[in-house]
Amino acid sequence: MVVPRALRFAAAAVAFTLLAACSSGGDDNATGAGSGAKHLTVWFPGTDPAESALVKNSLVPEFEKSTGATVDVTYVDYANLSNKLAAAFAAGTAPDVFGHGPAAVADLVVNDRLEPLPVDQLPAADRDDLTSALPGGQVDGKQYLMPLQMQGWLLAYNKDDFKAAGLDPDQPPTTWEGLRDAAKKLTVRDASGRITRSGLLLATDPIGREQSFATLIASAGGSLVDTAAHKSTFDSPQGKQALDYYVSLFNGPDAVATGLGTSFSANPPAQQPLVQGTASITLLAVNAIQKIVAAAPAKHFGVMQPPKFEGADHGAAFGGAGPGLMINADSKAKDLGWKFIQFMIGKDVNQRYVQAFGGLPVRASASASPYVTASPVLTAAVKAAPQFVPNPNVAGWVQARDKMDARLEQALNQKASTADALTSMAADVDDVLKKSQ
Amino acid sequence: MSAAGLVAVPVRRRRRWTRLHWAGLAMAAPAVAYVVVFSLFPVLYGLRISFTRYNPLRRGGPQWTGLENYRDLLHSAEFGRSLLVTGQFVLMVLPATIVIATGLAVLVNRPFRGIGFVRSALYLPNIVSLTAVSMIWLWMYSQHGLFNEVLGAIGLPAQDLLHNENTALAAAAAMRVWKALGSNMVLILAGLQGIPNERYEAATVDGASSWQRFVNVTLPGLRPTLVFVVAMDIIYLAQSFAEIYVLTQGGPLGSTTTVNYLIYTTAFQYNQFGSAAAMAFVLFAFVAGFSLLATRGISGRRG
Repeated sequence: MVVPRALRFAAAAVAFTLLAACSSGGDDNATGAGSGAKHLTVWFPGTDPAESALVKNSLVPEFEKSTGATVDVTYVDYANLSNKLAAAFAAGTAPDVFGHGPAAVADLVVNDRLEPLPVDQLPAADRDDLTSALPGGQVDGKQYLMPLQMQGWLLAYNKDDFKAAGLDPDQPPTTWEGLRDAAKKLTVRDASGRITRSGLLLATDPIGREQSFATLIASAGGSLVDTAAHKSTFDSPQGKQALDYYVSLFNGPDAVATGLGTSFSANPPAQQPLVQGTASITLLAVNAIQKIVAAAPAKHFGVMQPPKFEGADHGAAFGGAGPGLMINADSKAKDLGWKFIQFMIGKDVNQRYVQAFGGLPVRASASASPYVTASPVLTAAVKAAPQFVPNPNVAGWVQARDKMDARLEQALNQKASTADALTSMAADVDDVLKKSQ
Repeated sequence: MSAAGLVAVPVRRRRRWTRLHWAGLAMAAPAVAYVVVFSLFPVLYGLRISFTRYNPLRRGGPQWTGLENYRDLLHSAEFGRSLLVTGQFVLMVLPATIVIATGLAVLVNRPFRGIGFVRSALYLPNIVSLTAVSMIWLWMYSQHGLFNEVLGAIGLPAQDLLHNENTALAAAAAMRVWKALGSNMVLILAGLQGIPNERYEAATVDGASSWQRFVNVTLPGLRPTLVFVVAMDIIYLAQSFAEIYVLTQGGPLGSTTTVNYLIYTTAFQYNQFGSAAAMAFVLFAFVAGFSLLATRGISGRRG
């Protein structure tokens, strides 16, 4: 039987395609192969145009010039970052260095995808300067993430609203109980009793709920997870106090906030409740507050230091290490990757980096820099930094956080009592953490 | 030996493939290869994954776990609820879409000035991507969006439909109905134009009213088209994801978490691809079953 050439060609094409589709990417990472570790691929998280412009057009060329290496930088938006990383790891094409938020670190560690960072190679002065930042990037005592910025959620408030309500705008409350009292005076209702201006507005959107709760429970002296035991710790008196407070802000005749579930954290500055006048006090990320202040210069805003609950030792705020860089365990350019990370956390470089998007510097010494001292928001944030509490670095945290979020939502919407919500939340989280080890 | 004793034995000749047959096969091979590689193989691979525990971050690839994923789904309240939400969504959208699209098709099936423009305008939503439509409707539903502006103009209070457990799914369904009308209208219009005029003439001669002609001529004539439309809509609606992702992110309180949205979060946020694959195949079974039941009900055929 004579098989036509065309058919043989088609069969070969099919076979090749099938083989290509069936093969797995394996664990071999070709990145850097043949480049003699003089080539580095880096994925940065986010889509901030000013940041990416600075990194690509200024910082990377400087690094390349000083090292003789070449760096390929790609910015990946957060919504797709985890998906692309997972696919890249499975295919063996993950970048040498990549950025992500702290919440993702532990899962990468438990799957042996990260190279520990040799922070002991840093000068002692630098390690001291990074004291507030480093813990958020550690898992089981090892450093895996090098934060490039600090992050913190602080209470920003409208000073004019304070004055109008008979409150001292320069002496905001220092306890959550005092805040509630102030919020009652700041809350405005229409003729029907509907709140038209929230006195105190905390985030109640997805993820925002967990961050708000994290702030409150830490301020009550509690915690979310025992990272050593991989077990939740929020079903506690402090957790109950925090959640009761959180729920009461939005429910009942003495509610001081409205808009359950509505997202505002990521809104443009002009659409922020503080700017629109629909809230007098809101919990926001530092860089968001920065943008608000810049966008509404005619308004007078202040930033509170983290309040505490009465009886607690000190106040706290969700925050700590922000997004940073990690090294792929399969990279063939690990040394170069570490050099790049060290470059990015250099005092001058880091300040230029965070300044591009109004972020908070990672170094404590930056508190004396003109960039910080010129900004009341950043000055307040740097002062509050020691009170920032990061996400717990445990495997499965993303899913655990979402489980928490769902139960918090039930409590906020009064579908479950706070006690039941905490109990269910603990069971959900413990189950996830157990399965993730 | 007499001729009567002879029995003719047919000689079966083997069919010989000619060059033409081989050429035809060669021409079909690329298309077949495409279907096999990009359709059949992924489905089969997904089925295999559904019997594994697979996290792309984990080294070593999928780990065979048999029916574990399917057993877990039987006990998963979250998955069960997502099935209910998906069913609710289909039931909200499908009847409204069919009824309105049929009405529109009847309307545009008669000649009038500007008929082309009207048909085009009604079809326009179909050619805009679902994601883009969802983004626009997200704004329309927002606090200062179109709907609340209209409500305010007539003295009614603003509504936050997407953040209300009782209204979020309906809000998404309303958008989906609007999106689906055009394509369904066109299909039903084609069905209408396939009904012989003689049937209407005969009915008219018999003294049938407009409504009677619609019930006794139009609807029976549309039955094959409606079978197709219902089946396709069930398939598409049961796989709703983009509108949920953009409008509600599965909330509030999980009230809009469809199966496909749950598949997305399970696979791409938690890296549990085996469980997600199992969900997909269970959804497939439900979709296939309900599509079959619905189409048999409309077509009148019995199993």
